[in-house]
Amino acid sequence: MSAAVERRTLLAGGTRTRLVQAGPADATEAVVFVHGNPGSADDWERLAAAAGAAGRRAVAFDLPDFGETIAPDGFGHTPFGYAEFVAEALEELGIERAQLVLHDFGGPIGLIWAMGHPDALAGIVLIDTGVLPGYTWHTLARIWRTPVLGEIFQAITNRGGYRFALNRNEPRGLPREFVETMYDHYDRRTRRAVLKLYRATPDPGGMSENLIGLLAPRRIPALVIWGEHDAYLPASYAHEQERAFPGADVHVLATSGHWPFADAPETVERLLVEFLARVGATAPEPAG
Amino acid sequence: MPTTDSSYDAVIVGASLAGCATAIQLGRAGHRVALVEKQPDPQAFKRTCSHFIQASGVPAIERLGLLEPIEAAGGQRPRVHAWSQWGWVEAPPEQAARGINLRREVLDPMVRSTAAATPGVDLMLGWSAERLLCENGSFAGVAVRNPDGKERELRARLTVGADGRDSRIAELSEVPVKTSPNARFAYGAYFEGAAPAHAPDASVWFLDPQWAAAFPTDTDLTFYAAMPTKERLPEFKRDPEGALVKFLADVPEAPPIREGRRVGPVLGKVDMTNRMRRPTAPGLALVGDAATAADPLFGVGCGWAFQSAEWLSDAVLPALAGEQPLDKGLDRYRRRHAKGLRGHTFFMHEYSKGRRFNPMERMMFAAAARDDKAATILDSYATRQIGPARMFPRALTRAISVNARHALAR
Repeated sequence: MSAAVERRTLLAGGTRTRLVQAGPADATEAVVFVHGNPGSADDWERLAAAAGAAGRRAVAFDLPDFGETIAPDGFGHTPFGYAEFVAEALEELGIERAQLVLHDFGGPIGLIWAMGHPDALAGIVLIDTGVLPGYTWHTLARIWRTPVLGEIFQAITNRGGYRFALNRNEPRGLPREFVETMYDHYDRRTRRAVLKLYRATPDPGGMSENLIGLLAPRRIPALVIWGEHDAYLPASYAHEQERAFPGADVHVLATSGHWPFADAPETVERLLVEFLARVGATAPEPAG
Repeated sequence: MPTTDSSYDAVIVGASLAGCATAIQLGRAGHRVALVEKQPDPQAFKRTCSHFIQASGVPAIERLGLLEPIEAAGGQRPRVHAWSQWGWVEAPPEQAARGINLRREVLDPMVRSTAAATPGVDLMLGWSAERLLCENGSFAGVAVRNPDGKERELRARLTVGADGRDSRIAELSEVPVKTSPNARFAYGAYFEGAAPAHAPDASVWFLDPQWAAAFPTDTDLTFYAAMPTKERLPEFKRDPEGALVKFLADVPEAPPIREGRRVGPVLGKVDMTNRMRRPTAPGLALVGDAATAADPLFGVGCGWAFQSAEWLSDAVLPALAGEQPLDKGLDRYRRRHAKGLRGHTFFMHEYSKGRRFNPMERMMFAAAARDDKAATILDSYATRQIGPARMFPRALTRAISVNARHALAR
């Protein structure tokens, strides 16, 4: 679809990951997209293209054991392990300041990265994710977290069941090809990674107060987009993000579920592009 | 000291749409009517209103001779395009019912001056109803008071409460009332500038369960309305304009609200409790919102004001002419009112709970988005031309066949 993104591989964190990029490739400030579970660099193609067209450097990559990327031996499938991977990828890419765009589990991962690099966080876009004070896991996560049950569940999940379960929880279904790509990537490796990651995260809201205390005083420009009918992370958390990001521009999309960039792509793209225009950052290089 | 200086055939409290329409009808039939309005300003108008008049109200307006002046004043004759997750529900242009969009700022003074100019109608501005007068176990007029404290007793054979949703006359007469909660609230404002895609037609969005609308109106203005469920209230209270603009701009196939410029205040209504009152008591009738204050989401208030006024005057004219007892006429009005509105309000108020579509509604909307005939049936119902008893059998059979064909074609 988008000719505006370039795809290549990136060596980072001891593995080879897929990179989707757009815009000026040598800028030290970039829009960095971090996907959730299950997700991959492919989630971000449209938005990365839009950010690139807006004159920004945009990068999205698979997290280890997601998409088509294999985790190196000894990789820690924990939010901290993934945050470390993000740090290594950004270093490899020469990115010093980032506007993070986070979705789902990309939220905790990106926010942990931000805790370690608060000065490098130039702006943040939270899509159905963020600080989750008091949040307790959704049913599916609880299944994944239960030993044996999680393994059985992952073993018996097939394409039809996956498609059905996913769409059942979405207010108006997701585009067929989006779901198919997600399932294509949901291989044995990813399924194992999901179990490890969720089992390493007993309290998804646990760090919230620390994050709020650290981030709120920094007045980081923020855009929050949340699907009103998110069945996994309730939309009531959308306005909670203002505690960590005072002055955040919060949009609860009335007809969206957990993947607004898939079921309301035009709206999400418009909001992202407008946000990037507002937060300034490096001026686009003059042409020629 | 109250003075009884006048005796009328009818005294009507409230000179907004329903009251004026009733006064015009009764006055034209040769009766003496006192039309009492607590607002002293003849240009007063109802502010918290989407001003949309459903097609069901148009014949009554035409009969009053007001349709031409409304169109001459720039009133639009829109059909309604309804967005659903299955697509736009649009009856074909030649089948679609057309309502009216004219700002209340223009409409109310027009209707009021027509009433004031009707022979036999005494328009009394700046008087408010204090108490009801009784005679032989029947209501027989009202005592009214002006801001100077002057009180007058207006005696009449028929007393009419046309004083809106929070009707004082209804309260004083103690007619039984049924209320049901409304889980939504409303905010809206007029904007000038870029017109929405279907202009001059109206667009509404059934966001399931949220709701939004764009009503293009006279002088190239558009009234934008949001009716979200109450979880969204804090953001609207904090920044009414910002929240309204954001809400409309984020809907699918959004109208160009951000390219427009707001004209006039942002209006909000938080309590939209549905009220249905028994529309009659001995010697007394309620019209418009005083009788039935239905969920504003469906835009029926203005149309039903004109319709109930018509039903009342048609029903009581023989009695006022001395051909039959008044009770009989009032009884006829009550039955006509119930026949016209009860089925509609039942389903409207059920939807006021802020719930999502039920399977039957999903079926009907999906079919209507796919098929002209299904859309026409839903359009006739939504514009209140047909009631649920006629709509459901037709819409459901059509929905089953349309959706089955759709599933097979995939």
